[in-house]
Amino acid sequence: MAANNKVLDNQESESQLLIDDIKEKYFWGIQLRYLIVAVSLLPFILSFYNSIFAGVNIRLISFVAAYNFLAHLLYLFKKKYKLWQMIFIKSVFQLLDILAITLLIYTTGFMDSPYWFLYLVLIIVSGFGMFFYYSISVFLIAFFSVLFYLGMFWLAYNQILPIYAPNFNIPPAEFLNLISNKAIFAAASFFLFAATIYYFSKLLSEQRQALSQKNRQLLGALEEMKDVDHMKDEFVSIASHELRTPLSIVRENISLIEDGIVGPVEGKQLELLSTSIENVDRLSKIIDNLLDISKIDSHSLNLNRKRADVSRIARRAIEILKKKAGEKNIYLGIRWRDKAMALIDADQIYRVFLNLIDNAIKYTPNNGKVWVIVEDSGFEVKSYVCDNGPGIAAGDLPKVFERFMRFSSTDKAFISGTGLGLSICKGIIEMHRGQITVESEIGVGTKFIFVLPKGEKNGQ
Amino acid sequence: MDNKPRILLIEDEKGMVEAVRLRLEANGYEVMTSGDGEEGLIKARSEKPDLIILDVMLPTLDGLKVCRMLKFDENYNDIPVVMFTAKTQEEDVACGKEVGADAYVKKPFKSEELLKVIGDLLAKKNQPPSQNDTTASI
Repeated sequence: MAANNKVLDNQESESQLLIDDIKEKYFWGIQLRYLIVAVSLLPFILSFYNSIFAGVNIRLISFVAAYNFLAHLLYLFKKKYKLWQMIFIKSVFQLLDILAITLLIYTTGFMDSPYWFLYLVLIIVSGFGMFFYYSISVFLIAFFSVLFYLGMFWLAYNQILPIYAPNFNIPPAEFLNLISNKAIFAAASFFLFAATIYYFSKLLSEQRQALSQKNRQLLGALEEMKDVDHMKDEFVSIASHELRTPLSIVRENISLIEDGIVGPVEGKQLELLSTSIENVDRLSKIIDNLLDISKIDSHSLNLNRKRADVSRIARRAIEILKKKAGEKNIYLGIRWRDKAMALIDADQIYRVFLNLIDNAIKYTPNNGKVWVIVEDSGFEVKSYVCDNGPGIAAGDLPKVFERFMRFSSTDKAFISGTGLGLSICKGIIEMHRGQITVESEIGVGTKFIFVLPKGEKNGQ
Repeated sequence: MDNKPRILLIEDEKGMVEAVRLRLEANGYEVMTSGDGEEGLIKARSEKPDLIILDVMLPTLDGLKVCRMLKFDENYNDIPVVMFTAKTQEEDVACGKEVGADAYVKKPFKSEELLKVIGDLLAKKNQPPSQNDTTASI
């Protein structure tokens, strides 16, 4: 159904394009005719002062002005025409144009008038339509041009129309001969010209159509991709949700056994149970991270941005991780000077600190040092999380923020965690329109630096 | 026997019910269970437990609705409600708070965490009435 509607929409929009195309040309035709009328009226006005200009045919000008005025009224009368209405109106005025040109030829030298080229101009102008069936009109214009042109001669030959041309005192037999020459010339050249224009406009419109079809296909594909992407996010969200319930049952059951509630456990058993719980926790953390990554990817992680002190958030994270650092006898400290206010989602930035500091503790050997620096430069807040651990090889540095990245270190401590933490940090910082970078030197330590913009209100 | 706090656990996952029941009973609570929202609501009204643990995703009536119906009823709105859920989205937490849940425990949870939440809520609930009791006895 939806697909059908789309096709219908496309057809509709295509005919709308066609209508717009005809309408635009129609409009420019009106403007052009006004211009012609205005230009021809000028010598007419001058003819009152000087008889040189007396030859101007005011009747022809009035004729053009009159039907052009009608065309303009029709244009203003209704904003939306159906396709057939538009084609009909356009055709009528096209015919009137041909008639006006014929009259122009009649008044300006008859057989010797050079204005037959205006027929060709009409063919060119109407030929380059947007769609090929529209440009069939060139043959119609050619046909009517020939018809009117020859009709004029025929009327003259039968002496229905008087002839004003100066050199027209020739006997009927010769006149017929002349007319038949003109007839062949007109018919052949007009149709040849129309065919040429038709060919080129068809080529052009076919290319345009192929292009618009390709566009439509691409749009369709894009739509599909968005659907797939949405489905993926939904899948991850549901899957992680569904995974949590069984996981929590497993965790709770193990913990019940471990706590001896359902019977005594001892020694090795306890150890195994405690490892099981640790790994259940790890699994649930992986699920959380996957969910977050999918949210960051689909831009559905909503930031709840408020003005908050970054250094305070950092201190909070350090407070939580003090114990963990203590276990490895790692010095954990912070250096900050003043409040570093920024427009941020405090919970998310807290997670970033937690993640980075936790990582630093994890990768720093016993008795090492981990320190955090928060600086407020006035228009942004720069935070450093540094350690004096083993460092990251230069070759690995660009890959640090990649997903499921494992450092090629031999240190066993590296092989834990989900491999998603840093990628999530990067996502969160970038959603704040900030930047996160890493600097490291083997044997010296690693420095994670992230910069957060302060938001609209600077300083406080 | 009477001073054993009574907890109503409304949860449809059997394994979960069993595990939580064992844990709570081991910690000196009396546990009643219910497998779906409607039954849970009826039980809550008839039994008037000291605390309710409520899963969000439930058959017949979801946990948020059950919570709202209890919290907007002045006969029952003093019963603390702990929402249990596998959802972690912040919106869900907000939603739970909106319907009046007193606490929100995310699955998978640590049993100490759950016990602490329950202990805190029961202590908070019992404080004002105990003051009333003393004044009444004087």
